[in-house]
Amino acid sequence: MENNSRTSFWQKSSCMDFNPKWFFLQLTLTALSFFTHYDLLSQTPTDALMMPSRNACVLLSYDMGQFDRYWEGDYLRGNETIATVHRNTFLPMAAISILGDLNLYIGLPYVKTESSEPNGGRFEGANGFQDFMAALKYRALEKQLGKGTLSLLSTVGFSTPATNYLSDYMPYSLGFGAPEFSLRGIAQYDWNNGFYVRGMGGYLWRGYTEAERDYYYNNGSYYSSTMDVPSAWNYEGILGKWFLNYSLRAELSYSAIKSTSGDDVRDYNAAQPTNKVQFERIGAFLQYYIPSIKGLGLVAYHSRVVNGRNTGKMANTGFGLTYQFNYLKDKKEIEDEN
Amino acid sequence: MKTKYIIFGAIMVLILANSCEKDIPRYTEFKSYAYANNDESGGNWVPVLLDGATAVDIAPPETTTSTAYLTEIADIKSKMDNINDNQRKSIEYWTNNAVVRWNEIALELIAKYNLIPGPNDDDTYTLPNPNTPDGPPGFPFSHPPYASRALAYLSVAQFDGLISAWHYKYQYNRPAPYQNDASISYAYEPNDIPSYPSDGAVLARVSKNILSTMFPLEVAYLERMEKEHLESLLLSGGNVQSDIDAGVFIANSVSEIALERAANDGMKNAQAPKAVSDSIKAAAFERFGWQWENLELPVRPVGLTPLFGKVKMWSIDDVESVRPIPPPSLDSQEYRDDVEILKNYADNMTEERRAIANFWQDGLGTYTPPGHWNRFANEFIVESKMNPLRSARTMAYMNMAIMDAGISCWDAKYYYHYPRPIQTIPGFRTIAGTPNFPSYTSGHSVFSAAASEVLAYIFPEKAQIVRAWAEEAAISRVYGGIHWTFDATVGTDQGRNVAQFTIDVAKLDGAD
Repeated sequence: MENNSRTSFWQKSSCMDFNPKWFFLQLTLTALSFFTHYDLLSQTPTDALMMPSRNACVLLSYDMGQFDRYWEGDYLRGNETIATVHRNTFLPMAAISILGDLNLYIGLPYVKTESSEPNGGRFEGANGFQDFMAALKYRALEKQLGKGTLSLLSTVGFSTPATNYLSDYMPYSLGFGAPEFSLRGIAQYDWNNGFYVRGMGGYLWRGYTEAERDYYYNNGSYYSSTMDVPSAWNYEGILGKWFLNYSLRAELSYSAIKSTSGDDVRDYNAAQPTNKVQFERIGAFLQYYIPSIKGLGLVAYHSRVVNGRNTGKMANTGFGLTYQFNYLKDKKEIEDEN
Repeated sequence: MKTKYIIFGAIMVLILANSCEKDIPRYTEFKSYAYANNDESGGNWVPVLLDGATAVDIAPPETTTSTAYLTEIADIKSKMDNINDNQRKSIEYWTNNAVVRWNEIALELIAKYNLIPGPNDDDTYTLPNPNTPDGPPGFPFSHPPYASRALAYLSVAQFDGLISAWHYKYQYNRPAPYQNDASISYAYEPNDIPSYPSDGAVLARVSKNILSTMFPLEVAYLERMEKEHLESLLLSGGNVQSDIDAGVFIANSVSEIALERAANDGMKNAQAPKAVSDSIKAAAFERFGWQWENLELPVRPVGLTPLFGKVKMWSIDDVESVRPIPPPSLDSQEYRDDVEILKNYADNMTEERRAIANFWQDGLGTYTPPGHWNRFANEFIVESKMNPLRSARTMAYMNMAIMDAGISCWDAKYYYHYPRPIQTIPGFRTIAGTPNFPSYTSGHSVFSAAASEVLAYIFPEKAQIVRAWAEEAAISRVYGGIHWTFDATVGTDQGRNVAQFTIDVAKLDGAD
């Protein structure tokens, strides 16, 4: 039950079997969550698109994040001890369509952090693999409604540190060092003219991380190396449109994270994984499907944290390459021949 | 159907996740215990500051058959009959060894105030000022020297107060309420220690007084804790009001003496002005041809407490008598070898070395190295079931040795004014924060060695392990990239040497 707009695109597509655009978009959005894991934004597969079954996709992308000011509680501070903190992420990722309505995502980012020169702290940065992540997205409903299509989806995600990186080494730590279960609901409405809006709301349950010290202060003494990483609400709103005969799409986004507990970063002191992190971020995103090369897509985006608490005033820019293919095609062709 | 399964699965995952909520300990977890020893002759031990146990005069109590006493008994019985849940929790929290609890309160305040002031908008720095404690920045900045001193005065005053209390306990021999009245059931393990004057009350009032001076912004909090503690003494069935009043009287006298010493020990001059700091630095350059520089941005004009080395020591008359040998000159082979060692550690960081560096870091926002050793002492005290008097003695001698160690270390730091690795190794990066004071010798090494020696003296069965810990704490700073190996090794020797003076005093106080 394809709607008109999608059908029209499919008809123009050189390949009827798959739709790379849908696919690399969702992949990229998933990727965004990795790039900003440190910032505790974790939007995982948050779009409303599904891959046709028997398809798989790989994504390689590079994200450049940086901040030169951060919120200490609600006070925005610059700090020459750390100067500008750079956070670059290389992300290999794969998505597999198990069924038409059920997609699996896996990814493992490599993160490198460091301060700009000169800085007053002379701290060593960090680098390494961050968190292994897997997510399942299920489309519960896709229904023509008025002049477009309404989709309702849900995503269940899990991530956990892939290495023994030290989470208690902010602002250089690779991630918050704790497992995360996430549950998200997504609603999207696609107009037949190429416009769409999407809303997402989710809850991120975050577990505990282990520090390498066995005492810390979190509005009082804690005699343990176990730190409670606050769980968080996650919201997102998207306004998007397809251009150039469904080969280019552009989005404007607003997203937010709101920790449900935690302490504030103390005066001129380092952040720690127990902090109550909140932020609001706006972003722009472009995606282009290259008509001449089957299955290949390009993405680019920029986002900025505009308001926050206990987090860096981060700006991220990223580029990515996606390639989609039909992983059962050969087998299917053989079967057809028989 | 598929949707239902997925939603159900997701909910199950979240329920499972939430059921994993952990209770992370906020203090040393122990219940009341039977004391290993009552130390009946503890009243004859030699106090640190008091001129003998009877320097505070305590009148004989009313007898247990007097109307006044029976009225007091009736009063606590009526209070105990109307006890509420919070009061029960409070009794359980304070236990029958509040030395540990008040020490933990001190550690918590140290961690709370161990925040280095950041720069102002014009790149100047404002230092905390005890005369305007509200700040900003708030007073104090409880860095390691400050912490060592706060803990020493707290522990010494507790110890002297308890010696005095023990003296009168066994002089007047008035049994505890639960010993006099069988209908009163004691909240803790019973013992035969007389209850007049109340040792708990000594601890509550002394600790409140000392900590209120050390942490003036916490007066209201400390008063609340004192009140809660004093109330729990009555509600436990262990004390009547006159026990408490006598304990409070001792406490007030002892803390006055301790705070008098604190006011004049030289700490108020320790954070020298820039002119003095510059001349200390110039003198070192003149003497040795090197000088430590602060490399922060913006530069901090004065290092941390350049004159802490001039603060009055507890067990040593002349700080220069324990000053270590000079560090290697910057053109020596020994120095060059150390540069290679540090570079090698930095280039080949292992998870083990990283973990050691972090475990002992005890940096900003924590209870500092002196606090870390107090935490160990608390655990040992509970483990060996010490009574409050012997606990206070352990803490007093350990914290006197730690403070003396800090004074001696700071004397060496500013006399030698030796540069940090980041200053002399081009492009060097660290995994620990480089502190705002000279390198030689390492504070962690000296504090830890001194603490471990006193603990080895008091807990001989722990000697080997605590000495190994001290050495690990020392080398942890080299792994962190902020100290030379000779800062650590010479510092360890220095701490052991300094502690011996305090141990020699302790050995003669009558407790052994």
